[in-house]
Amino acid sequence: MAEVRLKNITKQFGPLTVIPDISLTVPDGSFTVLVGPSGCGKSTLLRIISGLTMPSDGEVMIGGEDVTFAEPSDRGISMVFQSYALYPHMTVAQNIDFGLRLAKTPAAEREARVAEAARILALEDYLDRKPGQLSGGQRQRVAIGRSIVRQPKVFLFDEPLSNLDAALRGQMRVELAQLHQSLDATMIYVTHDQVEAMTLADQIVVMNRGQIEQVGAPMELYDRPATEFVAAFIGSPKMNLLPGKAIGRDDVKTVGIRPEHLHADQASGDWPATAKVVETLGADTVVYADAGELGEITVRLPGKMRLTPGEQLFLSPERENLHLFDQDGKRMEDPS
Amino acid sequence: MTRGHLLRNILRVAFLCLVASFVLAPMVATVLGGFKSNAEIRTNAFALPASWNWEFYGSIVADPAFWRYLGNSMLISSVAVVLTLIVGAAAAYVFAQIKFFGSRMLFSYLLLGLMFPFATAILPLFIKVRDVGLLDTWWAVILPQTAFSLSLAILLFRTFFEQLPKELFEAAYIDGCGYVRFFWRFTLPLSAPILATVGVFVFVQSWNNFLLPLVVLNSREVFTWPLGMMQFRGEYVTEWNRTLAFVTLTLVPAIVFFLAAQKYIVAGLTGGAVKG
Repeated sequence: MAEVRLKNITKQFGPLTVIPDISLTVPDGSFTVLVGPSGCGKSTLLRIISGLTMPSDGEVMIGGEDVTFAEPSDRGISMVFQSYALYPHMTVAQNIDFGLRLAKTPAAEREARVAEAARILALEDYLDRKPGQLSGGQRQRVAIGRSIVRQPKVFLFDEPLSNLDAALRGQMRVELAQLHQSLDATMIYVTHDQVEAMTLADQIVVMNRGQIEQVGAPMELYDRPATEFVAAFIGSPKMNLLPGKAIGRDDVKTVGIRPEHLHADQASGDWPATAKVVETLGADTVVYADAGELGEITVRLPGKMRLTPGEQLFLSPERENLHLFDQDGKRMEDPS
Repeated sequence: MTRGHLLRNILRVAFLCLVASFVLAPMVATVLGGFKSNAEIRTNAFALPASWNWEFYGSIVADPAFWRYLGNSMLISSVAVVLTLIVGAAAAYVFAQIKFFGSRMLFSYLLLGLMFPFATAILPLFIKVRDVGLLDTWWAVILPQTAFSLSLAILLFRTFFEQLPKELFEAAYIDGCGYVRFFWRFTLPLSAPILATVGVFVFVQSWNNFLLPLVVLNSREVFTWPLGMMQFRGEYVTEWNRTLAFVTLTLVPAIVFFLAAQKYIVAGLTGGAVKG
C-alpha cells in the first residue's frame, strides 16, 4: 500500500504533446479512477505510473520513493490490461505464478499465494486450463489473479472491463469493489465509462486533452462540476448546457442544469418547449424537448408522468441546482 | 446432389488428379526406375518393371558410403536449420520489438539477400570459404546455407512476431521478464507454426543443395548425398537404375521431415494463429 504522487509530468510523442503538465496525488488505499474521452491521455498517464512509458519530464513517486527511472517490476505495481494479456501457452496456475517465479519466490510460498488468489477469485477449478479454454469473465479474473499474487503496493487497471458484455461488466464491477475492500490496496483505474467511474471510485480524476479538469469524490463532481467539460461528462443523461440568457444573465456564458433537476408543467413555467422524443424507462421518463432558441433540453421525469411527442410543456429549473460557467468554461460561484 | 453439382465435382477431381500427376509421375518413375535394368528405363520409363529387381536398392543400402553421405547431409541440414531458426528469430525479434535508428535500412539490406541465389555468388563464396580455411568441412556448407536462408527467415519471422500482441510483452515486462527471457519463454513457444514453416524450407533447400557442396567439398568423407549420387555417373555410362534407387532412398528423410512439420506449416502460412 502506498500513495502515488505525480509531479509536473509531461509527455511528448515526437512533436505531439499528449500531456502538457500534470500533478496528481493518489491517496494511500484509495480507488482512484482516471476518466475521460478517448485520446485524453489517461492511458498514457497510467503507463507512466507503471513504467511502461517514460515521462518526458517530471517525477513519479510511489510510497514516497522516486521511481521515475525504475523498472516496472521494481515499482511494486501490477497492471491488468484491457485485452487481459494472458500468456496463451501457460496454464492458469502458471500464468498467476509467472511473476513470482521470476522474483525467485520459494516454491512453498508461491503455491500458497496462488491457492489464495484462486480462492479469492473462484478460479480453483480452472488452474490447469489454458486461457483459450476460459470465458471472458474467467480470463479477466485470471488477469486480476496475476496482479494479486505479486502483492503490489499499487494496482493499475487499464479499461479492464471494456471487453466484457454488459451483464458481466456489472458483475465484475461489484467484484472489483469487493476486492478493493478486502485488499485495502491503492488502485488506479482507467476507463472512458463514467458509470464505472461513479460506481467504483472514491476519487475521480476527469481528464481532457492531457489535462486534469477536476479531481474529487464522485458526488462532488456530480454536485459541483468545476468546468463545463466535467459537467457534460459526468452524469447520464447528460447535463443540459444552455446559453446564459436562459436565466437572463449576460455575464454567464453557459448555464447547466441536470435533466433530473427540471420540472415540467403543462400550464406554466420558465421555458416553453415541445416534447420530441419520449423514452419511458419505467421508474422514470426521459423527454427530449425542443426549447426553441435555447436548443434541445433533456428532462428526466417521474415514471408516472405521461407525455406524448409533440405535446407542449413548460420547464422550470430548480434554482439551487443551476451550474454557471464563465467564458473559459470555469465554474462561477453564486447560483443566485 | 444435382447433376450440375456432380459434374462440377468430377471436373474438380479431374483437375486435381492432373496436377497431382505432374508431381507424382516423376516420383513414381524414380521409385520404379530403381527396380529396372538400364535398358528397360530407356524404353519404358513409367511402366511397372518387368521383374522386380531388388539388387540395386540392396547394394545401395549395403554400401557404408551411402549412409555416410546421408549422415553428412542430415547433419549439415539439421545444423543449418537450427542456426537459421535461432539467428533468424533473434534478429527478427529485434526488428519486431525494438525501434532503433537505421532499423528499416538494415532490414531492407537483409531483404536484398532474397534476390541472391547461390549461383551468382558462388565464386566469391568459394574464395571466402577458402580464405577462412573451411574448405572440405561441414561448416563450408552450413554457414553459407544459413546465411542465404536468413533473408526469407527474418522476413517471415518478423511479420509473425509483430502479430503477437504487444500487451503480452508489457504484461511480462511488469512481471519482471526482460527482452531476452521473453524471447525464449514467449516468442519462440508461441511461434511454432512459423518456425516449422521456415524449418522445412531451409531443411529441404539444404538437403537438395547440389552446387554449394560441389564447389566447397572435395573429399568423399564429407560429401552430401547429391554429390555421392555422382559416383554412378561414369565418363561413358550412367547407371540410371542405381542413381534412381539412390535418389528414392534419399528422398525419404526429407519427406518424413515434411510430414512431421506439415501440421504446423499450414498454420504458419495462414498466420495469425495466436490470440492474446
